Amino acid sequence: MYSSWRIFFHASIISAICLIFAGCTNSCSQKVSDTDSTLNVVLSANVKGLDPIYANDTYSNAVISNISETLLEYHYLKRPLELQPLLAESMPEVSDNGLTHTFKIKKGVKFHNNEAFENGIGRELKAQDFVYSWKRLADPRLQADGFWVFDGKIKGLNEWRDKVSAGEADYDTPIEGIEATDDYTLVIKLSKPYYQLHYVLAMGFTSPVAKEVVDKHGKEYLNHPVGTGPYKFANWVRNNKIELVKNENWHGQTYPTEGATGDEEAGLLADAGKTLPFNDKITFHEVTEAQPRWLNFMKGNYEYMGIPKDNFDSAIAEGDLTPEMKSKGVQLFKTPEPDVTYVAFNMKDPILGKNENLRKAIALAYDTKTSIEKFYNGQALPAQSPIPPSIDAYDPNFENPFKKFDVSKAKEFLEKAGFPEGKGAPVIEYSALTSSTARQMAEFFKQNMAAIGLQVKIDSVSWPQLQKKIKEAQAQMWGIAWLADYPDAENFLQLLYGPNKTPGPNGANFANSKFDELYKKAAILPPGPERTQLYQEMRDIFVNEMPWVPGVHRLGYYLRHGWIKNFKMHSIINNHFKYLRVDAKKRAELKAKL
Amino acid sequence: MAKFIIRRTLYMIPILLGIALITFLLFNMAGGDPAAQAAGKYATAERIEEIRTELGLDGPLYVQFGRHVQQMLTFDFGRSWATKQTISSMITSGIDASMSLTVPTLIITQIITIALALFIAFFRGTLFDKTSLIVCLALLSFSSLVYILYGQFSLAFNAGLFPISGWDPSWVGRWQYLILPILIGVMLSLGGSVLFYRTVFIDQLHQDYVRTARSKGLSDNVIMYKHILRNALIPIITVVVAQMPFVIVGSLLIEAFFQIPGLGGMTYQAINNADFPVIKAMTMIGAILYLVFQLVADILYAVVDPRVQVR
Repeated sequence: MYSSWRIFFHASIISAICLIFAGCTNSCSQKVSDTDSTLNVVLSANVKGLDPIYANDTYSNAVISNISETLLEYHYLKRPLELQPLLAESMPEVSDNGLTHTFKIKKGVKFHNNEAFENGIGRELKAQDFVYSWKRLADPRLQADGFWVFDGKIKGLNEWRDKVSAGEADYDTPIEGIEATDDYTLVIKLSKPYYQLHYVLAMGFTSPVAKEVVDKHGKEYLNHPVGTGPYKFANWVRNNKIELVKNENWHGQTYPTEGATGDEEAGLLADAGKTLPFNDKITFHEVTEAQPRWLNFMKGNYEYMGIPKDNFDSAIAEGDLTPEMKSKGVQLFKTPEPDVTYVAFNMKDPILGKNENLRKAIALAYDTKTSIEKFYNGQALPAQSPIPPSIDAYDPNFENPFKKFDVSKAKEFLEKAGFPEGKGAPVIEYSALTSSTARQMAEFFKQNMAAIGLQVKIDSVSWPQLQKKIKEAQAQMWGIAWLADYPDAENFLQLLYGPNKTPGPNGANFANSKFDELYKKAAILPPGPERTQLYQEMRDIFVNEMPWVPGVHRLGYYLRHGWIKNFKMHSIINNHFKYLRVDAKKRAELKAKL
Repeated sequence: MAKFIIRRTLYMIPILLGIALITFLLFNMAGGDPAAQAAGKYATAERIEEIRTELGLDGPLYVQFGRHVQQMLTFDFGRSWATKQTISSMITSGIDASMSLTVPTLIITQIITIALALFIAFFRGTLFDKTSLIVCLALLSFSSLVYILYGQFSLAFNAGLFPISGWDPSWVGRWQYLILPILIGVMLSLGGSVLFYRTVFIDQLHQDYVRTARSKGLSDNVIMYKHILRNALIPIITVVVAQMPFVIVGSLLIEAFFQIPGLGGMTYQAINNADFPVIKAMTMIGAILYLVFQLVADILYAVVDPRVQVR
């Protein structure tokens, strides 16, 4: 008998070889179609769900923005950002006191076909759909992530919410501040001026949903989204990919005919006036790891992507694409991000909160320039204040005297703080996330402080733990970032407004009566020079007190293949997919060479 | 046997209660504040309190623990706090993907490693044996990330033998995406398993029954396959059964790198989000699987070795 275990052994080797060939036959022969105009988008995190009221993350929002639409949207090309009507017929009529905003809703806008509707045909969008959807956003039983956009701002909404909690009101109970006076007129009454209202009406949270569909699916609506947008939900393989198909009954829009300076030269107006959307299908690929994202992009499987930190050097040299990248037809798009990174001090902390000179010494001892080289591949702007570029009240010439890296001056301030050469200074705890980059940043901070004689202890925490520490005012000092929700300096300055103290967004618990007074004054002013002036005064108070060490404003670097047209990014605009055009023929040609 | 199974099943109850208590305590001591987390970046004290009530985190700890035990025993874990998806649907959609990766990996690994280990044990003491030992040790020394990164880069990206990553829910379509992850999964456990089995087989080779078999004039092949392999089944069962819970709960890194929507990645995300209902569900499933497979192992010991008696 020939030994069975030998047969066993040989069989296993042969099967392994067969497996390899099986893989090859399947994947090696993939042909690139020159007619398929699917837009392949890669997301670096998994999508949670597709219900607009929970869309508080970039990834879910990216998908939802194609399915659902908002009253207003940002102009795709103009900079600084400018709002324009989307589901609204025109920009709203605003009463003189700024408290009443009347919107006319576009006629003939239809929801996607769905079995929840009569005969499965999507019905027309009405002003009442907004009333229903915004009640949903405020419904305490649903715990929507986006309620903050209306919290305390719309007449009667918070009262309605409380009554619903107590079981004394339901969706039939009217709300004074959100009223559909007819099928196409929506009147919003504010309890106080809120000039950011129009911005939040361009955020996914406020997209209308159809009651019939929500009634049919209940909480499962998040897997069965139906909207009025240019694309319809088709399929979701959870934690893998989401597919959307073109909505043939879309109300329609054309590609913008004007843009910002330089757009024409960049070819961004070549499709001006053409009917949107350009592509028949969008596939969102959910890929959490950087390597497969990068390798798939380099094979042409995704149209564009942000550059992973570890691949930066292989793509960019001295701020431009490497020759190798250029030879593959890859193009680079750079944009300043409307964000700020910072190290916050807990102003309730008995050591840091009471000692302005100590905070200034720390700020002066921090070497922002080197940190940009080390952690941002040299691609970020040192932040002088909380207000980032491309936002009103940002002044490119403004210099914060405590943001100049100056060890000897830092030592002077440390002495003024009562700790000459660091003598007698207690060890300060810096809370940092456990990721390797966050730890390296914390180590760098620690080294900077050691240079002036301050001892820092790094406290490594998970994101939930860090949030808990901040919200309970238990952290002493921590690194964090804020990305704008809308292009208004208020969105950054509210991080320092006294009444927003923990557990609110003012994690530093900064409290300055003058600052708060200016904030309140600015809140009731329309955008304009007077408001910008107040914002700058608030910035100066910030500099005087230094409740944070402002870090950087990041630069967004995106790579895109030559076959993707009309590519312009802005972190605040999340419905840009309808403007992108895949040149399928060029893709087939270029991809074959990758 | 029946009595043994019933008794062992009953033993599981206090163990599971203990696990429930430990996960509850760990979550309350080391986790973040889920209500504050859910309230998001514009949290207010009022919203946090509302969410606390909604999530059932406002009652005394013993009431919360009671609910926690009840959920664990009834397998009704509700919805994820982070994604708002039903946990049952998250698990059902993940288990299929995870097992498509882990079951073939386990089977292929066992076949190859047992075959290789028998082969190497047969040549014990020779240069081939020593070289194999060194190779196995080297394989064992690399971090799992090296296999994944290198495998994906060179075999999928450079050589184009496989897709870089991806998934197809259909049974036919998924295999093209699974071959490379399975190969890597096999490579990951190859070194360690071969070394272990080789030791087991060599240990058997020194037993009296081998000498007896040889003196009867049996061939090496018959001795290896009929006697040694059969006698080595107990450690093999131990190893295989110990891996069974991981077969079901998936493989975190391979799933993440190859975009396989399994349970490993889901659990990892849940931990990052302090998504306690998902963590609770996965801990409980992991614990039950572990206990059940331990019982299966004990029963199998008795099946393969008549000297073992379950009582």
